[in-house]
Amino acid sequence: MLFKSTYNEFIKIAAKPRSYLGVAAITLIVGLILIAMKLDGRMYISLITGPFEQSLAFEGNVLNGNLIAFIILQMLIIHVPLLIAFVTGDLISGEAAMGTIRMLLTKPISRTKILFSKYIAGCAYTFLILLWLAFMAIVVGKWLFGTGDLMVLKSDGLIVLQQHDIAWRFFYGLLIAFLAMVMIATLSLTLSCFSENSIGPIVSTMGIIILFTIIGTIEVPLFDTIRPYLFTTHMAAWRYLFDEPLQLGDVFFSISILVAHILVLLGIAIYKFNKKDILS
Amino acid sequence: MFQLNKTTQASSLKLTLLLLLLNSFLHSQISTPNKILFNVYSQLQKAKDYSVDVNIKVDLPFIRMLPINAKIFVKQPNKFKVESKSIAIVPRQGFDQLNKVLNDTSQFTAIAQSTETINNVISNLINVIPLQDTSDLVLAKLWVDTKQNVILKSLLTTKTNGTILTEYTYGKYFNYGLPDLMKFTVDIKKFKIPKSIAADINKNIAKTDDKEKKKGVIIIKLSNYIINKGITDSFFKDRK
Repeated sequence: MLFKSTYNEFIKIAAKPRSYLGVAAITLIVGLILIAMKLDGRMYISLITGPFEQSLAFEGNVLNGNLIAFIILQMLIIHVPLLIAFVTGDLISGEAAMGTIRMLLTKPISRTKILFSKYIAGCAYTFLILLWLAFMAIVVGKWLFGTGDLMVLKSDGLIVLQQHDIAWRFFYGLLIAFLAMVMIATLSLTLSCFSENSIGPIVSTMGIIILFTIIGTIEVPLFDTIRPYLFTTHMAAWRYLFDEPLQLGDVFFSISILVAHILVLLGIAIYKFNKKDILS
Repeated sequence: MFQLNKTTQASSLKLTLLLLLLNSFLHSQISTPNKILFNVYSQLQKAKDYSVDVNIKVDLPFIRMLPINAKIFVKQPNKFKVESKSIAIVPRQGFDQLNKVLNDTSQFTAIAQSTETINNVISNLINVIPLQDTSDLVLAKLWVDTKQNVILKSLLTTKTNGTILTEYTYGKYFNYGLPDLMKFTVDIKKFKIPKSIAADINKNIAKTDDKEKKKGVIIIKLSNYIINKGITDSFFKDRK
């Protein structure tokens, strides 16, 4: 029953035009970035290598597909949460707004399972969005720019990762990025349980992300204690996999914080959805 | 009739001898450094073009990377190309700078400074000072092994690329002036980038002393030289 319900929920997501906004936005934005980098990528490279260029020359294919993919993923992981919240924030509140939730809850399936079926369908959508992003960034990027070593720019210097040592980093990095986006999907779904319209959860999700990002960025001693436990601090945890040597402790800590947030938010969503009075 | 007495004659003779000695000393001072550099340059000119397999190990502050293998192509007087599947970091004043310095003796003054022992080899330290203000080179210090006509160490200061110290170790290709090992020591400025483009924006980095200039080392091992096989100019054309 759960599988059938999940399948139905996925069909509902696929049938909504807003679901394709995310795909279109990613295609357009990544396409523009690829064109811009093709035309003027050398200037970006000089930002990276500038401090060294007086005495050193960087030879080889510096502007390659791996670097382009890394840049695109860095840029878009910030914007993808909005595209995901557009869909997952609408899962409960959208049905309430349309008045179909009453009909939905008359089915011989528990409210918890209905919620889980929506949640799994939302996660599947998140996965597809991220997969599309990875395809555009990595596959199309390598097709246009070729392959080569990856230069990762960090606050304290430059790391050069050899090309044979990059594929697994992208793979596991995208898995962690998927976990971060699932956390966003969970947040917007939870907020959707509290709302009767779609705009509220979507705007609230983005508002929370922006607020927590500001708290995480401002270097104020007051926030130092809570900063490690904000989910926004760990949304970019996938970048830890592009460090040398690898900081596995940081990776596992970020994964645990994200999983903890997911479990807590799911718990709140289950509680609220089960107790919700259907008035529409 | 005026006659010089014996004392005056002896004094004149001594003075003349002294002037002759001084003249020959000065003359030898002027010609020897140039001659040394000419011999070195002539030896370098034996290899009109060459390719060599290199292993580049980088030990620079602010850069972390594994050693890489590459192939370097050089053609006299100033063509240079690196072929590598990996990203290779090489000094800007690398393989063709010495040729540029030595190819025209009328463009500089060479002054012998002293002798030094480097790795149990006695070398002549020669300072090369360009004659023109517009020259990119500010000063070159060359430690030359005059027996083998090779440069053991060089310290080049240019306006565009700063100062670089290069130490050379030779093997079987010494008669072409081609080393088996080159060790470059370069100055690196403080690393500073906008935080927004760094990959670790959440990381708090301890502030370092802004005035501190750091040194880095690049070690290049050279092997499998292929010399004077004829590399066309067009081969170097796609170098940026």
